[in-house]
Amino acid sequence: MKKNVLGLMAAMLVTLSIFSCQTDTVEKANISVALKVIGQSISDTILPKKDASGNAIPLKGTMLAGKTYHIMSDVTVNEGDTLYLQPGVKVLIHGDGLSPATSPTFFVNGMLVSNGSKAAPNWFTVFETAKVKKSNSSFKDDSVNDPAFAGYWGGFQCGPKAKLLLLRWTHIEYVGGPWGINAPDYLAKAGDPMFGIYMNSLDNPKGSLIVEDSWFYGSKDDCIGKCQNIYVSIMRNTFSKIGGTGGEGINLKNDCYGDLAYNLSFGVATNGLKTSGDVGKTCMVNIYNNTVVQNGFRQTKATRNGSINTETNAGGFIYNNIVVNSKAGLRISFASEKGKPSDTLNTSYGNNLTCIGRGKPMGGSEQFMVFIEANQFTIKQPTDLNGFVNGKIAANGTNPGTNNANDSLKYDPLFKNYNVAANSAGRLYRVYDIPVGADFHLNTGSPAIGAGVYAAGTGANAMPKKSNAPKLVEYGFPQNKVPIGGIFGATITPPNKDLGAFPTDNTGNQHTY
Amino acid sequence: MKKTIVNLCVFVISTLVCFNVMSQTVGTSSLKGKIVNVYTFEPIIGATVQLVNLKLQTTSKLDGSYSFNKLKAGSYTMRFSSVGYTSRDTTITIQNNALVNFSLAENNFELTEVIVKGAENKETEISAKKIEQQASNQLNVISAKAIQLSTDITIANVLQRVSGISVERSGSGDARYAIIRGMDKRYNYTLINGIKIPSPDNKNRYVPMDIFPSDLVERIEVNKTLSPDMEGDAIGGSVNLVMKNAPDNLYINASASTGYNQTLLEKTYQSFPVNSVALQSPFEKNGPTYMALPTDFSRDHLNYTPKSFTPNAIANLSIGNRFFQNKLGVMLGGSYQNTYRAYDNIFSPSVYYDETNKPGSLQIKHANKRDYSTQLTRIGLNAKIDFRINEKNKINLYSFFALLDDVQNRMTMDTLQPPPRVGYGTGQVWFFGRSKYQTQKIYNTTFEGQHELMPHLNFKWIGAYSYASSNIPDLAEYEYDAGFFQDGTNPKPYQHPNKVVNYHRIWENNQDTDLSGYGQLAYSNNFLKSIPFTLTFGGMYRNKNRNNLYQDYELRTIPNADGSFQLWTDIYRFNWSVFNPTGSPANPNTYRAIENIGAGFGMLKFKLKNLETLAGMRMETTSQSFETDVPKTIAGKTGSISYVDFLPSVHFKYGLNTKTNLRLSYFNSINRPSYFEIVPTLRTGDEYDEIGNPKLLHAKADNLDFRFEFFPRPNEQILIGAFYKKITNPIEYGFSGDKVQFYQPQNFGNAVNYGVEVVLEKYIQNFGIRINYTYTNSSITTTKLKTFNNQLISPAPEQTRPLQGQSPHIANASLLYKNLKNGLDLQLAWQFTGERISLVSPYYEFDQWQQSLSLFDFSAEKKIGKHMGLFLKVQNLLNASDIFYINQKLSNSYPVSYQKQGDQKTLSSKSVYGQNYQIGLRYIL
Repeated sequence: MKKNVLGLMAAMLVTLSIFSCQTDTVEKANISVALKVIGQSISDTILPKKDASGNAIPLKGTMLAGKTYHIMSDVTVNEGDTLYLQPGVKVLIHGDGLSPATSPTFFVNGMLVSNGSKAAPNWFTVFETAKVKKSNSSFKDDSVNDPAFAGYWGGFQCGPKAKLLLLRWTHIEYVGGPWGINAPDYLAKAGDPMFGIYMNSLDNPKGSLIVEDSWFYGSKDDCIGKCQNIYVSIMRNTFSKIGGTGGEGINLKNDCYGDLAYNLSFGVATNGLKTSGDVGKTCMVNIYNNTVVQNGFRQTKATRNGSINTETNAGGFIYNNIVVNSKAGLRISFASEKGKPSDTLNTSYGNNLTCIGRGKPMGGSEQFMVFIEANQFTIKQPTDLNGFVNGKIAANGTNPGTNNANDSLKYDPLFKNYNVAANSAGRLYRVYDIPVGADFHLNTGSPAIGAGVYAAGTGANAMPKKSNAPKLVEYGFPQNKVPIGGIFGATITPPNKDLGAFPTDNTGNQHTY
Repeated sequence: MKKTIVNLCVFVISTLVCFNVMSQTVGTSSLKGKIVNVYTFEPIIGATVQLVNLKLQTTSKLDGSYSFNKLKAGSYTMRFSSVGYTSRDTTITIQNNALVNFSLAENNFELTEVIVKGAENKETEISAKKIEQQASNQLNVISAKAIQLSTDITIANVLQRVSGISVERSGSGDARYAIIRGMDKRYNYTLINGIKIPSPDNKNRYVPMDIFPSDLVERIEVNKTLSPDMEGDAIGGSVNLVMKNAPDNLYINASASTGYNQTLLEKTYQSFPVNSVALQSPFEKNGPTYMALPTDFSRDHLNYTPKSFTPNAIANLSIGNRFFQNKLGVMLGGSYQNTYRAYDNIFSPSVYYDETNKPGSLQIKHANKRDYSTQLTRIGLNAKIDFRINEKNKINLYSFFALLDDVQNRMTMDTLQPPPRVGYGTGQVWFFGRSKYQTQKIYNTTFEGQHELMPHLNFKWIGAYSYASSNIPDLAEYEYDAGFFQDGTNPKPYQHPNKVVNYHRIWENNQDTDLSGYGQLAYSNNFLKSIPFTLTFGGMYRNKNRNNLYQDYELRTIPNADGSFQLWTDIYRFNWSVFNPTGSPANPNTYRAIENIGAGFGMLKFKLKNLETLAGMRMETTSQSFETDVPKTIAGKTGSISYVDFLPSVHFKYGLNTKTNLRLSYFNSINRPSYFEIVPTLRTGDEYDEIGNPKLLHAKADNLDFRFEFFPRPNEQILIGAFYKKITNPIEYGFSGDKVQFYQPQNFGNAVNYGVEVVLEKYIQNFGIRINYTYTNSSITTTKLKTFNNQLISPAPEQTRPLQGQSPHIANASLLYKNLKNGLDLQLAWQFTGERISLVSPYYEFDQWQQSLSLFDFSAEKKIGKHMGLFLKVQNLLNASDIFYINQKLSNSYPVSYQKQGDQKTLSSKSVYGQNYQIGLRYIL
């Protein structure tokens, strides 16, 4: 009997454990994908090779997994050609950023696809020498000495016929070398710093820029700068140490269409994300589920915003973003020194959270934070979480509202490992290096949880519609203008019911710090 | 203080006028009359009329008249004498009042062609009129005498007095470029002694006319038509500066004067040490691989100190004589001008704003108040040597050098109009301090020979070397930002600290070297013994080399040790880093250009009874090439362009009588792209991305001119002219590119330009009046940008407008008073330039206009003794301000600084330059 009882109990235990296991177990499939080779494999690791007369031979074909390539001078991908990087490729650029000749740059006139993976990311970083030092976490607020802003190499400059620049699970570090060679073709002046990624397509259909799950670390000026006439999908990336004394994380200009989502923008000099059309030219880009922390404190020029900014005929859906400890929250610009009015008709925004560590003037040149810059178009929406009090809207549509400094810390999103109050103290708000172990996922009880718009949402969580805005209707939310799916397409993550880049269902940004 | 100067000026004038009041004696009879040339009946001015018995004498006036008053009845011996004329005596008897007209014969009456004989003083107004009358083509001439009496110290100032010419002013308000008959500066060229000179401008061909001091010229000739022996690239006309020639006898002309600008009595002159400006960039000094350090950039020239006493100094000296039995003639001249000015300017550049369901509107974002302090130093040197080997052979050597140093400080306060500014008294304010030091030079040496190879056959050759350069070293403008505004946390506006920002140091220089050779063979004879003719063949070749260098360094502010922003105290405490230590290594603004022009012509001039005809054909070949510093991988690093033009012309002159001519001219002319306009590389401009245009065609024009000329007396004239120009492919700036984003020189079909000119010059006794008036009408159609409901309208709409710089109405009037007896000259001059487009906007109907401008100048000169003169000049008597505007209403939400609320126009710029006073002494032998 005893035996029977024991047997029964064992059976029950087994059953129980089977039952309990059932709730915990998800198949962890790990099926290898086909290792793709496009064109010829590139076996030489010192590149580019030179022809008989000493000119660099344009690069095409496949850079192989596991290899480390050394880039000694400018690399060109010709029109119609493709340069493909298998997962797990390391590209070391031998540059010092001191002159155009010693700051190698990728000039892309065809396609460049860096197909890194979570397990085997790709790298584009500088080759460290005694003189060319890498940055480290000891540089937190030292834009003068931090090698992160040295601009050792020139990044990816895409010509008018470039079809696609796709960077997936790829580290891009130390960009911003000086222009010189080819500057005028890219609307730049010799001596100007190059943007990490620049793309201005004159092709029809437009070229596409797809950047996903990648890390940008160190950029002298804009990281993805002043791109025009392209389709974009920039999702789930991390931007840190961007812009020495000015510069944006993502800066899109006229005739760009697409989505910026689930990006972490940490310590960017000016804005983490900015869109701007031009006179008579639009820029329709959705900005959603981004987390913007400690932005806007190294731009010395006035009238610049410091988190998310749209101006000059720019429009799009702007939802589900979290802005913390930045110079100011979202700005739908009426006017700035350079900017002209945003396209308010084709702009729809809400469900954004802004939390400031301290909103009171600190005296001297010390900066402080506001929820929303007054006298611009931005209106605190009913679904927004911030301490701004709307004013009486002026005839020109601007909002002369006020910031309630006493609401500092009130909308703390309760990040898992980042204390808003502590990080706004002293001069810590200026730190541009992501603290080791920082985690921007949301703790239970965060006001950001469940505050977002998403496909299945209803009421305040319903996907926004603005039927009188023709461009919003035309382009949609999210957009699907870039190629989608597969190695050569984007993986689009739709808006989440939680705010920020790190929603509780872990479908957003996959990076850890 | 202002009043004091005006009072002083009134005092001086009245004193001068007082000299004139003289008394005579006794009787009640008067003796009057006129003295004329026995052959031409032209009045003789300045002739001496003596009553020998009474030892009384007077001088004939501008109209040749003379008079004696309060004479007793009786018999008198009169003596009439004048330089160049044979003296004559006569005896008359006066009862009551007598009228005695008298004629004198010239010693040497015959005056031939324009190539005036040495005997004549060519600096006079009469000589100028003769040249105008006798020239084969249509010409306006200004004499040295007329310049001497005017307030003009530069050639550019003088040119605005010529009929049909208006001027474009430099930033400091000085006349700089000539616009001839509404044709922009690019359509005109400049000659010195007949040789085309290069320009110190960094991109263009046109020469800034304010580099030339006005006191070295013998005369200025403005050609509005071109004959086949003249270079063909002028559609408006050409300006020829004829430098002083060697005289027949010892000639000395010296003057020294000083003066002050009214503005400097009210404002402080801010100076900086020019010697601390680094003439070479780190790149030029150390080579292309050099990494510039923060210490490579000097600070002293960005530190300003007030200078309280800044008198102007102007001096000139010309000496000439003839040696070795008059075989060798020498004329040497030097001119020095050092002038100061402090003035202010309102500058409000406007921007185009899209509107919902409407075309775009105009807004102002930056309202600048700028305070300038400028010091201009001009040096001019002139040498002319002629050697008459014998009757048949003559060689000349001319050299000319001009230098203009421009030292300028500009302090700017820029109030940002967008939020957080919400009205007067608030807003972000940016402060700037700029130091600019520019040196421009023009040098020319011409070696010329004239030979009579055999009877009737003359040969002339010229070899010329010319050089022009401009250097703007270390152009620097620092900036710090502050203001008084509310920024969101503080409900009240508060004073923000002065925050230093990044700035640039720019070096730019260019040099042009021209080598040219000319040859010309002329055969003169009579056809059928009664038809005089001259057949001329000639050619020329010029090789031009141009070199441009551009370097731009960005200096970035370094945060303080505690990470806070640097605040501005002065330039010495500004801590910066060099952002681009190698400068601008591969930029298209560093370029070299070569241009070779070859030309040949044939022309026949003949006179059939009263009809003089000049007809011919000119051929010009142009070959232009360039090389920029951009790498080989960029299209358009190098390029060349060449073309050939055939330019026919015919000029008729019909003499109705000895005083009246009718002229009719047709000529074909061209306008070439500038050296840089054909360079196709992109460059970032101040406002737009600019791109050159290698497909640019040179413009070609058909020009038709008619003129009626009447010279009642040698110093008087009535000219009535009309012109019509049809310009094919004029080069104008517009927008191009897939997205109409590039500002580019382009050909926009055809333009027409027509007008009427009237010149009147008349003298009555001691008074004279000179008037000229020009009506011009031009039109051109170009594409412009326009948006509706935030969208660019495509294709870009066309707008028809006048040519840039063309005023419909231009007028000059001067009132002269000349008393030869006591040597007093007075002149009040008025110059009017009607409203005109000063800047063509890329946007539809947003062109910037310059308001009509009325300027009054006064000058007086009094002879002291035989050779000395005292003069006083006041420029800009009424302190006219120079105003630019756009014919659009502002759409800013808040009242904009310096703008009149509710105005239908928008003020773009306003400058007030103040009066300029000059007083000095002259010595003429």
